[in-house]
Order: sequence, then structure tokens, then C-alpha cells
Amino acid sequence: MDGSMATPKRDNPTMSRRAVIVLVVVYALLAVAVTVILFPVFWMASSSLKPQSELFARNMTMLPVRWTLENFRNVWEGTAFPTYFWNSFKVSALSTACSVIISMYAAYAIARIKFAGSYAFSLLLLITQMFPHILLVIPLFVIIQKLGLFNTHTALVIAYTSFSIPFTVWMLRGFFEAIPAELEEAAVIDGASMMGTFHRIILPLAGPGIAAVTMFGFIRGWNEFLFALVLLQNHDLFTLPIGLASFQEEYTFRWDLILAGASIITLPVLFFFLVMQRFIVQGLLGGAVKG
Amino acid sequence: MYLQRRARFAYFLILPAVIVIALLDVYPIIEGVIVSLQNQNQMRANPEAFVGLKHYSRALFDEQIFWYSLGRSLVWTVFAVAGGYVVALALALLLNMEIWGRGIFRALFLIPWVIPDVCTALLWKWLYGDEFGVINFLLVKSGIVSKPVLWLSDPNLAMPAVIFVQIWKLYPVMFIVLLAALQNVPKELHEAATIDGANVRQRFVYITMPFLKKTSVIITLLGCIWTFQAFDIIYLLTGGGPANATKTLPTLIYDKAFWGLEMGYAAAIAMLMLAGLLVFSIAYLLVYRTKTQAEAV
Repeated sequence: MDGSMATPKRDNPTMSRRAVIVLVVVYALLAVAVTVILFPVFWMASSSLKPQSELFARNMTMLPVRWTLENFRNVWEGTAFPTYFWNSFKVSALSTACSVIISMYAAYAIARIKFAGSYAFSLLLLITQMFPHILLVIPLFVIIQKLGLFNTHTALVIAYTSFSIPFTVWMLRGFFEAIPAELEEAAVIDGASMMGTFHRIILPLAGPGIAAVTMFGFIRGWNEFLFALVLLQNHDLFTLPIGLASFQEEYTFRWDLILAGASIITLPVLFFFLVMQRFIVQGLLGGAVKG
Repeated sequence: MYLQRRARFAYFLILPAVIVIALLDVYPIIEGVIVSLQNQNQMRANPEAFVGLKHYSRALFDEQIFWYSLGRSLVWTVFAVAGGYVVALALALLLNMEIWGRGIFRALFLIPWVIPDVCTALLWKWLYGDEFGVINFLLVKSGIVSKPVLWLSDPNLAMPAVIFVQIWKLYPVMFIVLLAALQNVPKELHEAATIDGANVRQRFVYITMPFLKKTSVIITLLGCIWTFQAFDIIYLLTGGGPANATKTLPTLIYDKAFWGLEMGYAAAIAMLMLAGLLVFSIAYLLVYRTKTQAEAV
């Protein structure tokens, strides 16, 4: 990318030898870092593909001696895991749909329209985004109980929507700001209504942003632990995180089931991350931290 | 006229979000304050009886556990954030060079951040295990220790062990933000300094670090806010034990509210925790505002 740095070095043989040494050291350090940091993930994958006898063997091997998918079959066919899976899917999808629909209008307003109170509204978003969940969970538990919604998926959808809206608005704002203002000005001159302009002109252009934010919201719901732990009681309503955690008591020492389950929960998230990596990094830098 | 209509339109657009935030974020906080002033002990009659500041004085003066937990929380937060920052900065500096495969390494270093908390916690429990944990296996096999280390059940080791997991979880976000900031450091500055005879250390101290200062402050404060209130990993790894060694404030609040059924007392502790968090948050908002203003200029 930057030729000006490399060219003068190439003219000078001693410099280039130093550059090679630096490069070798950098790659060696990176290789060590990747190995240490990703070893736990590698170990989860490797363990989940080992038969039970190898999991609890005295002599461990880095890779399975006999590769097998039987742990995955056991967790999917022998436990309530599929129920947890669909529960998680349902709750995450519903809460994300609610929060994205509510958030996109608000995000467009603060991105594009000057109005008294828009700064106050942004501040409110920033502050509510920082409310600790452990603080919200007690009053929400009391409120949910009063409403008679304890131990229902509705309670979880409400809770997840509440804490994903501030974040979603904040992230979507950046995407709307990136759309050229001339487009909507032209539409307004052509006589389109303000709402029509938003729905027909702006929203389609914000498609990629909305997709990224939807993914983000879905993953947050998919991973959420504390509210599910507090608001649900029946095993057949459990979502994946608390379902998997409950394996610890239900199937003590069945690490084969726990690790296969953990791999199944991680896989879709990891897949989406690798596919949408660029978007996620942008959103992270633009939304949560830099503004 | 048009601008007025547009402003009205804006209020109409933000209305649903404002209503939801008011009902589900602001109102629960108010309800939380109310609960903290009420009896709210599920074991006793009349949970809604007003008890004033009784829970607060109990937490602050009568019982040691609040101050003890606050201390645990500070140890957990300071070490995890400091550790996360060091790892993040080191990796960001390495990847700030023009090398082949940078994008791949960047994606790989972000992976721990993507793993769901529950999976992270259970996975590390498996790694830390005393009988079948791979960490102990490798330590014993290489002769570093003679018998397995009880990472999670030794009161002296449990806190370092959970902090290590939090560092693993936390550093990726700090890393990606620091890397972005590093790429904004003008190359000419480094070149000019090199020509003037500055060595690597001098360039790092006098050019790179001043550029990273503000970003570092922001990301450290955010890291503190996130870590101070983090619950999942400790709860799943140690549950606050052994012998309360990892009983940070969130685990204490959870225990009091949902095991002790003392909602009022737990809410009071949560409010005290919020007061502590506000210090970080106000600092963050102040730095954040000066930063955006500086960028606008």
C-alpha cells in the first residue's frame, strides 16, 4: 500500500536485512499470539469431535484419534437441546424485529433532521445503553411478575427489545448519515411525502446497514444469559445459553454433551462474524465507540 | 414552515423509541429505586412496606459483605482492563505494519469476542479442570507442576483464573479500536522522526502514544464500565466462590435477589453499584464530548 516506506530500504542492503529480521520476528510473534489466543477455541472444536473415551483419557491428544460426530448427535437427539435452539431462535428473531423497526425511524430522525431535543435524545440513548443489566434485572423481574408475564417468552422479548433499542439506534444513525442528502431533497422537490421519501428512497439505500444491525441484535439475543436465567423457569421454555448452563447440573460430567452444545451455539455466530466481519468492525468503530 | 413540519415529523419518528425507552429503561430504574426503599423480602409478609434507607445503611455500615464485594469488583476490573489493554496494544502495534495477511490476523484476533459468554465460561471450565483439563495436563507433563492446580477451587487462584478469561474476552474490542487509531497516526511524522535519528522507543513514546492517548482513555473507561458490571463469566465459572473469593458486586446482587430473595436489599446494593459506575460513565461522557468536538474542529 505504502511504497514510499519500502523503496529507500531496498536501495540499502543492510537496511533490507534488518527489515527481513523484523518481518520474521513479527510473524513469529503473531504466530505465537494466534496459537495462544485461539487454543481454547481449537480445544473446544477438537474435544467435541472426540469420542467420550478419549475425552476422559489419561493421555490427551491434540486432535481426536478417532474423529466422530456422535457427541453432536447425542446432544441433538438425546437432550432438550433442539427445543432450546428454537426457543432462542424465536426470542432473538422477534426481539430483533421489534427493536430494528422502532429504531430505524428514530435513527433516521436524529441522523437527518435538526430538531430541538435531538442532542438530549442522543444523550438518553448513550446513558441507557450503559445501564448495567444486573441493575435492570431486579426491577424488570418485579414488573414482569406484576404483569403476570413471568416465565413467558413475551417477557424475554420485552427485555431484549428494551436493551437493544439504544444500541441499534446509535449504530443505524451512522448508516443513515452516510446516505447523500441530495437524494431525499430531490424526492421532496418531486412532491414525495416525508414518510414516503423515507420508506422508498432512504430505507432501501440503508439496506446493508439494517442487515448488519439486525445481525448484531440477533446475536445479542442469541447470547443473552442473565435475563433468561431470571425470567424463565420451565425447562421447555429455556433458551440456548441457560439450557446449556443447566446441562452442568442435569448431566454432571457429560462434557461430551456440553462441548458439542457449545460448538453448536458458537457456529452460527462465528459464521456470521466471518462473513460480515468488515461491517461489524465498521459498526463497532462507528457506533459504539467513536460516534 | 417546512422546517417546522420537518421537526414535527422528527418527533413523530422518535416517539415509539422514546416510549419504549421510557417504559423499559427509565421506568425500571425508578422502580429499582422504589424497590430499594421497600421491604421486598419474599420471605416476610408485606413486601411493599416502606423501610426508608434501611437497606442502604445495612449495606454500608452493618455488614462487611458490600465493601468486601466492592473490593473484589475493583480487583477484577482493574486487572482485567489493564491486562486487556496491554494485550490489545501489543497486537495492534504488531498489526499496524504493512504485512501480508493482516486482514486474516485481524479477524482471528477478534474471535474470542464473538464466542457467546456461556460457551466461553463452560469452555474455560473444561480447560481449567483439575482431572481432565488440558492446562493441567500440559503443566504436569512438562514438569512445571507436580500435581494438578485447582484453578477454580483454590480461593487464591480463582480470581486470577477468572480475570484471565475476562482478559481473553475483553481485549478484542480494545484491539480493534486501538488499531484504527494507530492507522490515523500520520506516516510522515514517523518518517521525519526517523530521519532526525529517533529510535523505535522514542518514536513510540513521543509520536505514537500521544496520538493514542485519548482513544486509550475512552477504551479503558468503556472496558471498566463493561467489566465492572460483567456477570455471566464469573457466575458460570465459580458462582462467586470459592469462599467468596470471586464474589464481585453483580454476583452478590444476584445472590441476594434471587437466592436470598431479598429484592430490596439487592436493589439497594445495585443502586450503590450504579453510583460507582456513574463515576466512570461521567468521565467517559466528558472525554467523549471533548473528542467529538475536537474532531468537528
